[in-house]
Amino acid sequence: MKDLLQNVRQVVMPLLADAHGPDEAREEAPRPTLEELKARKARSRQPLEVGSEVITVSMGPQHPSMHGVYRAELDLDGEIIVDVRPEVGNLHRGVEKLCEERTYHQIIPITDRLDYIAGFAMNHGYCEAVEKLMDLEVPARGRYIRTIASELCRLSNHILWLGVHIMDLGTQTFFCICFRDREYVLDLLEMLTGARLTHSFARLGGVAKDLPDGFEHRCRKAIEFLPKRVAEYERIIKHNRIYYKRAKNVGIFTSEDCFAWRVTGPALRAAGVPRDLRKDDPYAAYDEVDFEVAVEYNADVYDRFLVRMKEIRESCKIIEQCLDNMPAGPFVARDITRTLPLKSDVMRDSASMIQDFYQVFKGPAVPKGEVYRATEAPKGEMGVYIRSEGAGRPARIRFTTPSFYHGQALPPLVRGEMVSDMVAIFASIDVVLGDCDR
Amino acid sequence: MTSWIVDPALVKQCGELEEHFGERLNERTEFRGEITYLVRPIDWYEVLRFCKETAGLAFDQLDCLLGDHLPERSSAPFEVVAHLVSHTYGRRLRVKTSLAEGEELASVTGLWPSAGFDERETWEMFGIVFAGHPNLRRLLTVEDFEGHPLRKDFPLAGIVGGRVRTDLRGKI
Amino acid sequence: MSDPIAQLIFLIIKAILLPVIIVMMVAFIIFFERKFAGFFQGRVGPTYLGPWGSFQSFGDIFKLLSKEDLIPDKADKPVFRMAPYLIFIPAFLVMAVLPFGPVGGEANLFGYRFDYVIANFDAALVLFLAVGAISVYGVVLAGWSSNSNFSLIGGLRAGAQMVSYELAMGFSVVGVMLMANSMSFVDIVNGQAGNFWNWYFIPQVVGGVIFFIATLAELNRTPFDLAEAEQELVAGYLTEYSGMRWGLFLFAEYVNMVVISAIMSTLYFGGWRAPLEVLDFIPGPIWLFIKIAAFIFLYMWIRWTIFRYRYNQLMSIGWKVLLPLSILNLAVTAVVIAIVG
Repeated sequence: MKDLLQNVRQVVMPLLADAHGPDEAREEAPRPTLEELKARKARSRQPLEVGSEVITVSMGPQHPSMHGVYRAELDLDGEIIVDVRPEVGNLHRGVEKLCEERTYHQIIPITDRLDYIAGFAMNHGYCEAVEKLMDLEVPARGRYIRTIASELCRLSNHILWLGVHIMDLGTQTFFCICFRDREYVLDLLEMLTGARLTHSFARLGGVAKDLPDGFEHRCRKAIEFLPKRVAEYERIIKHNRIYYKRAKNVGIFTSEDCFAWRVTGPALRAAGVPRDLRKDDPYAAYDEVDFEVAVEYNADVYDRFLVRMKEIRESCKIIEQCLDNMPAGPFVARDITRTLPLKSDVMRDSASMIQDFYQVFKGPAVPKGEVYRATEAPKGEMGVYIRSEGAGRPARIRFTTPSFYHGQALPPLVRGEMVSDMVAIFASIDVVLGDCDR
Repeated sequence: MTSWIVDPALVKQCGELEEHFGERLNERTEFRGEITYLVRPIDWYEVLRFCKETAGLAFDQLDCLLGDHLPERSSAPFEVVAHLVSHTYGRRLRVKTSLAEGEELASVTGLWPSAGFDERETWEMFGIVFAGHPNLRRLLTVEDFEGHPLRKDFPLAGIVGGRVRTDLRGKI
Repeated sequence: MSDPIAQLIFLIIKAILLPVIIVMMVAFIIFFERKFAGFFQGRVGPTYLGPWGSFQSFGDIFKLLSKEDLIPDKADKPVFRMAPYLIFIPAFLVMAVLPFGPVGGEANLFGYRFDYVIANFDAALVLFLAVGAISVYGVVLAGWSSNSNFSLIGGLRAGAQMVSYELAMGFSVVGVMLMANSMSFVDIVNGQAGNFWNWYFIPQVVGGVIFFIATLAELNRTPFDLAEAEQELVAGYLTEYSGMRWGLFLFAEYVNMVVISAIMSTLYFGGWRAPLEVLDFIPGPIWLFIKIAAFIFLYMWIRWTIFRYRYNQLMSIGWKVLLPLSILNLAVTAVVIAIVG
């Protein structure tokens, strides 16, 4: 009788109140320690019975939920996942080999195709690495424009992530709504860079073009209304009973696990580690703007959602600050041996045309040496390793992309969880195959 | 940009590393504020383990592990580079080793499981075998791909193996 | 012409007309589902074929018929072919006992008594429960015969889910049975004579809500559509069906939806009766049609708004919440009727 009443209360009360209490209660709750998170993880995973029959289901590569052509071979015991064997490589395009035959300027469009959802963020990371190698300084305006474009990419990525994550949980309506909001961001990016997907906007020493007329006005309008939209979505989902039951204490990945499996970005910050390369190792204009790092402490799917929502709000703040403090001046460095000339000059001036030709086909002047530079891409930390022999083409370049490691981290995340949870967890870890396979 | 200075705390901690290994650390380079150590292949696992487990160094994350091919260096044409990150101190370190053709290297998947995919890719692209790796198979290319693509003598474009894959019917 | 012959002719007309009407309704319901989905998602649905895109279903039917009929090599072919039929034929059976107008002398056509029901069956409610359970066979056999792991999981999940929620459905329906003192749909509707406050949804509000939720699970619609969860299992038990066979499954789902909406309105919302007696001049079938349309809209609305539950949570709701509540509802109804008399 008591159980019945408890069950009835569980059904009826949420209809009258919030799913888990107001935000303040959640914020003041004690932060779980590592041991407690491990205990929660052990509790949420189902015990695996030895000797029961296991069927093998291959999820992928064609699959509406596996982001891209990721293949996961699951061994299932009923609903519980006994083992996962991930298989990547269906989108391998040999980017690193391609880059060895191209000059540093020609590699920029290739980096677009890595994480194609946030193309500029990849361009930016690569350019930062090459500029570190060449010791080239980017003028202030160029840095601010890069920051704005990177944050727009972050917005685009997180809004898309939200739509896909909720779609994986069952409703397509939300996906359509999120895409409609993402259109505003993509329109801004199109206005700035000329393309919605493959931006190729960064250049060594700055960006390709200056801010167009009317961009600032439109951008301000967009970032004024996007946080309100995001607040609405957060309200719908955060206090939704079904989402709470499907995301709380599901897919716990403690900070130790994250370090061991090289999981970075929002998943690491949801585990309580306040590591954000925009603050710890600043690049572009991030040390000149004021923003908070989104950190949560429960390391589950719910917290990764909260982290990303906060990051959307912080991105809007960063863009606003950059627009307010936009310095005047050149948007790209001018250095005859290392950067491309302005496109407007190339068509008019034979010296610029020669410089353009030389830079694109012979490459910039880089010293011999090797360098590694990591930046905070929307999905995690993206690092670029370049070994140069002093030629215009890199001798070895390696893109350390977050999705490669997130895809590898699937087995420890889902072993013992149920199939429905696996979809939710995989969506929360945010894998895109272009990033993973390069 | 400004002059690239290495973080003095890192230099001090690396002093501890150098003290422990002494002669076995072949070389140390500093470029653009990064420290790189070149070690012998036999000491690879030990050095990395020391970096991970010593309290002062505490490199708890392996950012990436990659291979490299320098054909102009005929005695030891291959190189394996490991980038280490310390989240506790926010520092980075690079450890390299040079390998001859066919020489094996110890796998570090026991220290950092994230090296699993990295080492598989390095083997696949360069042919460097990692001893002790649980699952050294092709990762990014097809299972029966011949050759190691990222070697400098492997062409960028061309046809490798057969064209029409009728042998995989029923397997995929 | 004597009365029995007239009744026979009427019977044949009704038996032919009813399935045709339902099929036409289903064609338009499929279109409306896509249109409403579009509106809920901030876009327009189909707009090309016909006015407002309304002939979309017919275009789809032609397209599906022209596709290759692909049956997997190792599938159990006779069962594979038979499975979709097992799902919707029971629904048509139930439609045969549902009244869509006055029965037993009130209405007449050309002077002969015209009953607005194909078969005035005494134990219609039991028939509904029994025959509805056959649909489960269709789903499980579809998953099993496809010889594919995805389909198997989907079919088994669906089967287990449908069976669990049928219990809650059955118990909540018994409450209505007690109130009407009969198992026949005709008597149940007649028992709700009067205005809308005489309808059974007021005294049986708990039962009604439980019945509605249980039917969501029976129909495999969100939030209980794990069996065909697109994101998890591609299409669950439907994965291996292509072309018109898949069309048959969809058809079956929507026919079930129509029938269950009709039953819901019959049991709890007065069937073909008007909400206010003054509106009696509008014929019964039209009221029933309006109520069916309202419920179908409700099902669609819920589908495009709410997320999916995880499987174990779904089962625990069915067994631990709905079943005890429906038994409690039954007990309270019985006690009240015994007291009030």
